Amino acid sequence: MKLNKVLVLAIVLLLGVAALGATIKIALVAPFTGLGSILGDYIKMGAQLALEEINAAGGINGNMLEMLVYDDAANPSTAANVVRRALFQDNVVAVFGPNMSSAVIGVHPLAQQAKIPMLVGATSPSFRYTKIPNDFLFRLRADDEVKVVQLVKYAVEVLGIKKPGVIYGSTDYCLAALEVAKAEFPKYGVEIVAMEQIKEGDKDATGQLLKLKNAGFDGLIGLTHESEAAVTVNQLRQLQIDVPIIGFSAWGVPAFTDLAPEAAIGVYSVQGFNPVDPDPAVVAFVEAYKARWDGKEPSDPAQAYYDGMYLLAEAIKNVGTDGTKIAQYLATKANIFGVQGELKCDEHHNFTNVCLISQFDGKDWRIINKMF
Amino acid sequence: MMLQDILQNIVSGASIGATYGLVGLGVVFLWLTISRINFANISSAMLGAYLFYTFYTMVKLGFFLSFVLSVSVIALYGLGLRIFIYEPIRKRGGGRLEFVVATLMLCTFWLNLIIVTYGALPKPFPPVFGGSKDFITIGSIRIPTLYLNIYLVIAALMVLIYFILNKTLIGKSFRAAAQNREAAALMGIDVKVTTSLSFVMATCVVGIAGILLAPIYFVSLELGGGSIGVKGFASAVLGGLTNPYGTILGGISLGLLENFSTLYISSTYRDIISFSVLVAVLILKPSGIFNWKGKKI
Repeated sequence: MKLNKVLVLAIVLLLGVAALGATIKIALVAPFTGLGSILGDYIKMGAQLALEEINAAGGINGNMLEMLVYDDAANPSTAANVVRRALFQDNVVAVFGPNMSSAVIGVHPLAQQAKIPMLVGATSPSFRYTKIPNDFLFRLRADDEVKVVQLVKYAVEVLGIKKPGVIYGSTDYCLAALEVAKAEFPKYGVEIVAMEQIKEGDKDATGQLLKLKNAGFDGLIGLTHESEAAVTVNQLRQLQIDVPIIGFSAWGVPAFTDLAPEAAIGVYSVQGFNPVDPDPAVVAFVEAYKARWDGKEPSDPAQAYYDGMYLLAEAIKNVGTDGTKIAQYLATKANIFGVQGELKCDEHHNFTNVCLISQFDGKDWRIINKMF
Repeated sequence: MMLQDILQNIVSGASIGATYGLVGLGVVFLWLTISRINFANISSAMLGAYLFYTFYTMVKLGFFLSFVLSVSVIALYGLGLRIFIYEPIRKRGGGRLEFVVATLMLCTFWLNLIIVTYGALPKPFPPVFGGSKDFITIGSIRIPTLYLNIYLVIAALMVLIYFILNKTLIGKSFRAAAQNREAAALMGIDVKVTTSLSFVMATCVVGIAGILLAPIYFVSLELGGGSIGVKGFASAVLGGLTNPYGTILGGISLGLLENFSTLYISSTYRDIISFSVLVAVLILKPSGIFNWKGKKI
């Protein structure tokens, strides 16, 4: 009958149009709400900048990239829900994120199940390929084992800390870093005199700091997230405890220094990225980012996802959109130069080990050392 | 442990505890007059902090003007709560459950509105109550200016509340309506006015608590949905849900308990210890330990 014919025609036309304008769909899973690391905006802006640059240059073999953004609320169960949706309902070609280590540990088996590559900025060493062999899981920046090893080295060799006191958070990111610190300090003949925990969302560290002081610490090792870092440093200054402070990657970002601008002066940190790095690749990225996003400055991990988008584009250009082939290419052949320097997959499925040691001077993080 | 350290702990614990007490006052005022629990009580704190941040840091209005404007807006919000949420539910025969559900959803609404308007990253609160390096020295004891200012504001507020409740006609009407709503209405007291006063006082007090807590909690979503709301409620319960001064004392005890458990027992088990003690108190004395007038809930 007439209605049936019209319907069939409409469907055929729609399918035809769909086939012509094929976009390559990519999922971006990041925390835009929730307690803990709310780095979603940086992640999205970094990834989208790369995507727009790639599309402007003609896309990948003529096909445009399209990014679907999901909020995982820095929560493993929410992450599981959105990743499931991205992989099994929205039929994406790859997933960027989650960025929180505890979420990655929860959801990476889904990527393996769906045979779709998952490229994350999460930094806990507990899901290194050598520990959890997931062929579809890749890391886009240096992991914390590398960073904490450098932190301990600097604390002992340069800052001369002999009785370190540690303050640590309760997420996997923090706990894994604590384990690395516990293993590293003895290698220099140094023993940690006290370890105190501050949970995410806690706003009082007075008790913990007083306990560290009573244990006779001569240096604070900060292994917490950004808000707790601000609380700790503020209260350390209030208690007038005067020791050198060195924190790991969550301490080296504006999300921390904005909340404690005075108190953070003089704090050292390991960083994955520094916007005032004079390296030409970084300078170019920072300028492009500022131009695109109304003068906002990028922060770790925006660069990781920017690099990740280019890595993925390179893979798709060479082997197409089949998940298994992309994963294989990324693991064995992918090699580009990004914001973070040379990006090549190592035995841990990390694409880079770049990290910096810097000190906050009230406005910027002054780079002391950069290691690749 | 040095005396200085213990005193430092007492000062910070009691100061933050007093702000929990302020949050609890929001619960108490409403309970006294309308026998309802407002589950969006803590949202007033978040709104107060974000309003102050807007006026002071974004519009650059100066401390006094920003403070007065923020509190005024919160007061209007309190009136709005009564007119647009409480009254319609009551008129249509809704009871406690309906009010709870409505305010619970309102709490989520405010959280999401703030995310959409200001973004989810915490913002720094300007050091108007004292920066991290400001101290007052009394003898050999150093007290951070921040905590001292929190005490001063809360003390001034409690004096103001005492004055309003005990020395003004409207305060007397409020207390009468709290004692017995029907009798008060029969005596010619305009219950609508006392209810409005109750809503305004509840939201203002919690809004001010938000502004006081913002230097510590940052201008963040945690002010509007985290554990502070629960701790405020716990303070109110310790004060028997009916005694405003008991509520402040309850809050201070809770703050001290938290700090000293961290110091002498463990930072990891701090919340478990605090709430275990709270539950124990409730089992042993359900009318609240700071409820010296003996009013039953």
